[in-house]
Amino acid sequence: MSPVHLFALAAQHANWVSVRQTAVTGNIANANTPGYSALDVEPFSAVLNDTAATMARTAAGHFEMVRDGAAGSGSAPWEVRDTGTQVALDKELMKADEINRSFALDTSILRSFHRMLMTSLRSGA
Amino acid sequence: MISPISSIGSIGAENRVAGAAGAGAAADADFGQVLADVAASTVNTLRAGEAAAISGISGNAPVQSVVQAVMSAEQALQTAIAVRDKLVSAYQEVSRMAI
Amino acid sequence: MIDPLRAATQIAGAGLEAQSTRLRVVSENLANAQSTAKIPGGDPYQRKMVTFQSEFDRLIGSSSVSVTSIGGDPTPFEVEYDPGNPAADADGNVKMPNVNLVIEMADMREASRSYEANLQMVKQVRSMTTMMLDLLRNG
Repeated sequence: MSPVHLFALAAQHANWVSVRQTAVTGNIANANTPGYSALDVEPFSAVLNDTAATMARTAAGHFEMVRDGAAGSGSAPWEVRDTGTQVALDKELMKADEINRSFALDTSILRSFHRMLMTSLRSGA
Repeated sequence: MISPISSIGSIGAENRVAGAAGAGAAADADFGQVLADVAASTVNTLRAGEAAAISGISGNAPVQSVVQAVMSAEQALQTAIAVRDKLVSAYQEVSRMAI
Repeated sequence: MIDPLRAATQIAGAGLEAQSTRLRVVSENLANAQSTAKIPGGDPYQRKMVTFQSEFDRLIGSSSVSVTSIGGDPTPFEVEYDPGNPAADADGNVKMPNVNLVIEMADMREASRSYEANLQMVKQVRSMTTMMLDLLRNG
């Protein structure tokens, strides 16, 4: 696993987490809407399985993941599905918490490895 | 950060003080070995850091162990860079020496 | 592609607006809980209710919310016997507003809670955006 894979993975995950945040925000906004059922994104593991294949195909640095020919259509690359259940405010707030932690980890990892790469490129002599 | 660098330096000094030409040749081999070991351990620590980061992102590892592994990787990298820089400047010094 | 975090801020904003409207309606109901008719035998203040609706946006992959209408509660008015009241009809009966204080207070609590949850989303998205932008900062 090269560092390039790690950057792309962390960036992809951060993106996935952002889409999840949007879904959770929509659920909370519609907590009192009659007939509304909660939305959520498909699990990241589903994306991970595709990552290896897609990374091999695409050029280095091209990390915009698109699925099912949705390239450039502007739709969310990860499917947001209807869970069919009513919104439970507490559950959504717990999800939001998890999202926050997860996103913080992704950005911290990105920062660390970026810093490491930059210092190793710097000339020391 | 300072102590690993100085420890590498002191190993070199000990070998020089030890002496005769024959011992000198053996000393070079030892120092070379030390560098090779440092390089290998750095690479391993970096790989471990990456692996920890990946499992952290997937949510499979506790945050604390991810942070620890990445910090170790940073430290190892900084050490290796410091050694590299020292070697490069030493080489440049030698090459500047009038014959 | 739409920035998911920006979309989330907009949705949370819509949620805040919707809950504010709901709180305002609850306040109106509470203020008019005793408002009887001006003319004898007339209808008193009718309780107002808010109806929410969601709008799924495919580009964003989530739903926003809006208030469709503020309608009247069709629950029949309670009748009290109060011949001295200006709104009393020929039999001395007065129709009272169909506002139930307990229900309104519960509604207010729930609306406040929802409002706070939406506000928390605004704060969280802001903090996430900051975390990401800080990567570009040197050092």
